[in-house]
Amino acid sequence: MKAPGCERIADADLIDYAAGELSDAEAAAIEDHLFSCADCGARAAELDALLRAIGPAVRSAEVGGFVTEAVLNRLARDGVRVRTYALSPGAVVPCAVWDGDELMALRLHADLDGVSEVTLTHRVAGTEISRVTGEVAASARGEVIYAVPAARVRQLPVVEVEVVLTAHEDSEERPIASYTLVHGGSLGR
Amino acid sequence: MPDTKATLGAVSDEALARRIAGGPPGSSDAEEAELYRRFAPRVRLYGRRHLQNDAASDDLAQDVLLLTIERLRAGEVRRPEEIGSFILGTSRMMAHSERRVARRRVALAAQFMETAATAPPSMAALDVPRLTACLRALAERDRLVVLLTFYADREAPRIAEDLGVSPGAVRVIRHRAMARLRECVLGGARP
Repeated sequence: MKAPGCERIADADLIDYAAGELSDAEAAAIEDHLFSCADCGARAAELDALLRAIGPAVRSAEVGGFVTEAVLNRLARDGVRVRTYALSPGAVVPCAVWDGDELMALRLHADLDGVSEVTLTHRVAGTEISRVTGEVAASARGEVIYAVPAARVRQLPVVEVEVVLTAHEDSEERPIASYTLVHGGSLGR
Repeated sequence: MPDTKATLGAVSDEALARRIAGGPPGSSDAEEAELYRRFAPRVRLYGRRHLQNDAASDDLAQDVLLLTIERLRAGEVRRPEEIGSFILGTSRMMAHSERRVARRRVALAAQFMETAATAPPSMAALDVPRLTACLRALAERDRLVVLLTFYADREAPRIAEDLGVSPGAVRVIRHRAMARLRECVLGGARP
């Protein structure tokens, strides 16, 4: 980040401060300066604005992507309605989102021993429509969790979507598992 | 006629405090709003660090600034040239006495409701849909670290264990991701 004027507090330190990861003495030193410096106060205001908007942005269920149990738990505490599908390799599963659903979470079970990074590919009728690479969380115990905004799923026609997981090894991709979601459209109650 | 907001923006913290302290009741609404605009974000960050709760941080910022204005009006701030230190000291005191905060909130909000209601929120201009788009535009790992830190309240060592990297690497990823977010949201870059 660019610091206007005073640079006595590094942006990185301000972020670590906000994350609660500085010692009490380090935090107190930052506070003593922050409350007497207009330049650093302005940067603090920017960071504050950014941090305060992250919660509403995530709760909007429009972000998606690879997540972990910790993120799903927080979403549940915040009242976000998540439709979860737990899929074993080779599974062919009818799937849909219902009226009140805000997010779809795909729990993709697979043999992830020794795998730290995977690529998730969506294919429709053999054509790749998206590809995204993310981390495998150590806490995940044999699954990756991928979140898709329900609003995006609602736009899909009735269609079969193949989801393929591949691992990265020595700059090569190795298929791990594939799953088929038979999308049945948006459902009302 | 000069723009009051622009004029006040150039006034030092000390001068702002002296104007609030020196004017008759009701004569320094603009100065009080400016003091709130300048310091509320800092108190909120302080609250985030010490209370680990967004709602409690919001309350703390409101309580601290309302009490500060009350003390200034009453002539009880001995050194207006150190108004920042006064606000920090008040933040520390209030964060450590939540029961007292809860009692004062009711009384102060009733007494100074008008000032609190008219004080401009510091994040009013931040576009949440834009931030959403900018979060989506981050690399998967960068976004996950930001979400785990600032949404799921996970500390770097735990995130590091999860992602199989060092805590230092988590901080580097987080700094980079936050810089990109800032550029994307505030700098106007296309996500």
